[in-house]
Amino acid sequence: MARDLPQEDPLIRMQRDLKRALKKKPTDIKWGMVIDIAKCIGCHACTIGCVAENKLPPGVVYRVVLEEETGHYPFVGRRFVPRPCLHCQNPPCTKACPVTATWKTEQGAVIVDYNKCIGCRYCLVACPYAARTSDFGEWYTAETAELPGKLYGQKAAANGYEAHPAAEYGQKWPDRNGGSPVGNARKCHFCLHRLKVGMLPACTTSCIGRATIFGDRTDPHSLVYEMIGSPRVYVLKEELGTRPSVYYLK
Amino acid sequence: MKNKWEKNLIILTIIGLVVGSWGMYQRLAYGHLGMNYGSFVPWGLWVAFDLFFLGLTAGAFLITILTYVFRIRLLANLGPLAAFTVLVTLMCELLIISLDLGHPLRVYRFLITPNPGSMLFWLVVFIISMWIIYVPWLYFLIREQLIAWGNDASRVGHKVYRFLALGKTAYTPQDRQQDHRRTRFLSYLSLPIGVIFFGAHGAIFAILHNRPLWNSAMLPLIFIMAALLSGGALITFLAYLYQPNDELIHPLGHVVLLILLSFLFLEALQMFVGYQSKITGIVTSLDLFIIGPYWWAFWIVHVLIGSLVPAFLLIRYPENSKMVALACFLIIITFLAVRLNYLIPDLAVYKLEGLQNTFFHQRLRPEYVPNLNEWLVAVWVISLGLLTFLLGTRWLPVVQAGTGEAEHV
Ligand code: SF4
Ligand code: SF4
Repeated sequence: MARDLPQEDPLIRMQRDLKRALKKKPTDIKWGMVIDIAKCIGCHACTIGCVAENKLPPGVVYRVVLEEETGHYPFVGRRFVPRPCLHCQNPPCTKACPVTATWKTEQGAVIVDYNKCIGCRYCLVACPYAARTSDFGEWYTAETAELPGKLYGQKAAANGYEAHPAAEYGQKWPDRNGGSPVGNARKCHFCLHRLKVGMLPACTTSCIGRATIFGDRTDPHSLVYEMIGSPRVYVLKEELGTRPSVYYLK
Repeated sequence: MKNKWEKNLIILTIIGLVVGSWGMYQRLAYGHLGMNYGSFVPWGLWVAFDLFFLGLTAGAFLITILTYVFRIRLLANLGPLAAFTVLVTLMCELLIISLDLGHPLRVYRFLITPNPGSMLFWLVVFIISMWIIYVPWLYFLIREQLIAWGNDASRVGHKVYRFLALGKTAYTPQDRQQDHRRTRFLSYLSLPIGVIFFGAHGAIFAILHNRPLWNSAMLPLIFIMAALLSGGALITFLAYLYQPNDELIHPLGHVVLLILLSFLFLEALQMFVGYQSKITGIVTSLDLFIIGPYWWAFWIVHVLIGSLVPAFLLIRYPENSKMVALACFLIIITFLAVRLNYLIPDLAVYKLEGLQNTFFHQRLRPEYVPNLNEWLVAVWVISLGLLTFLLGTRWLPVVQAGTGEAEHV
């Protein structure tokens, strides 16, 4: 299928779409994402962008890039499927939570209240996409030797990254010594803290193939709306009826 | 000390508490950092132990319904001991599951932000309901003895018993009648609550439609049978230790055999249906424990030592109390393998193709083997439970109160 080359970087268009969406009544927005796997080159930049943005510790990851092998020898292929939380419209994870610590917002993002979560991990078991991870309180710098001075050694290394407060949910979460989010279930939240200030999610801006499209899926003029209408669209594990807000293009 | 074995067991539990305290220290000081479960296998040994304790809880339930609902007098003498056992196992269950939480101090959240749509919430409701039923039930069963012990000035701590009897010094026939009415009422109440309680544990897993091995209506039923089997075995074993009466042990042996065979039948059915469905997720999970690296936990521990040998003993020597007790003991000690086999295999299968090549970290792997810290915490909880049980049977009239209970059924 011949397609026109885009006239402008999709990021610019998405940025415009986002600005327009933020002018709407908040309850009228429904965030959505489309991932074009034909464009994904498997560079994992979105994973790293997300980890850096949310100061994720070891073992906690919100967006992974799955590698699938297709076909049979000698006609084999490989494709990459980035998998954030799919922000299901019918999410099994929120139903599982015994203390309503996780729920779907009016704008369609599934979020966790770290201060409410008791860390039972039932939502991890209930999510069909393995999109939730538990924070076990690990540090990348745990094994780093301590050295005097401000430039080298464990403390300096930690201060350079993981001791920084993460800005998730618009709050500062600096304490990685037992308090939340350590001990909690953690997951992708569509970078709500960035959206609030008019910035696209970190995975979207870091995607070098422009394979990730984000926006208000109810806005007919938005790129994400246009993409959802593509005949190539599909969702993961459709048979489970979770109705993800993250769509894929074959 | 009455019995030498009792004294030895108490020493053993104290050693267990001391040794296990290293694991407890790790858990309390460093949270879940020192444990082996991760995000793909989020529940491990402690949840398996939770299910194990749950099964033991079922023992008293079995006694209750057989005695007070089906009016089988033979088992009535075990009533108070069974009720006490249920409270001890519930305590262990609550303790180990709290340790498994990332933020155990937030359990009050169940009260202030409950989610009635969550099975886990209902599980907690039913655990509390079991407490609400069994605490007064035990109390009314032993009240007469408590009063008697409170009146016995030569007994050490008679003032404590007087306090526990709420200062009462006389136990009239009216009191007795009233207590029997109350215990009967609580027994009837425990029937539906107990069935739902044991079934709810299965339902926690069964409702997850992304877990093909668990997602079946049969699972809650299997959980009820599993609970009755391990609980029945425990009560029979305790009956052998505390009231070695052949007339009591032999029928209990028949009950355990019947439940064992029914459980094995259900388990075989589940495997047959699973394999015949030819759904990759189910077959991979089943293969994992039937022919996987831990095949021995299924074939040797569960099938051979925990099922075939006890079944043989119960069929071959139904009139030999020692053999019946041995069969029950084998069922109890191997039951953890059954619980782990239900829990781990479904979790240990990647639910998305390609997930194994995404992010390398030990918390993001499907292989799970409990580590020393996890075992030590389990040892600590078991030791505490056993010590509570041993001291309870010594300091509370739970064995003595059973005498003559049959007349009141
Ligand atoms: S992908 Fe998983 S965590 Fe995200 S909303 Fe769906 S069920 Fe919940
Ligand atoms: S881990 Fe937290 S968010 Fe997940 S079900 Fe438990 S309490 Fe809810």
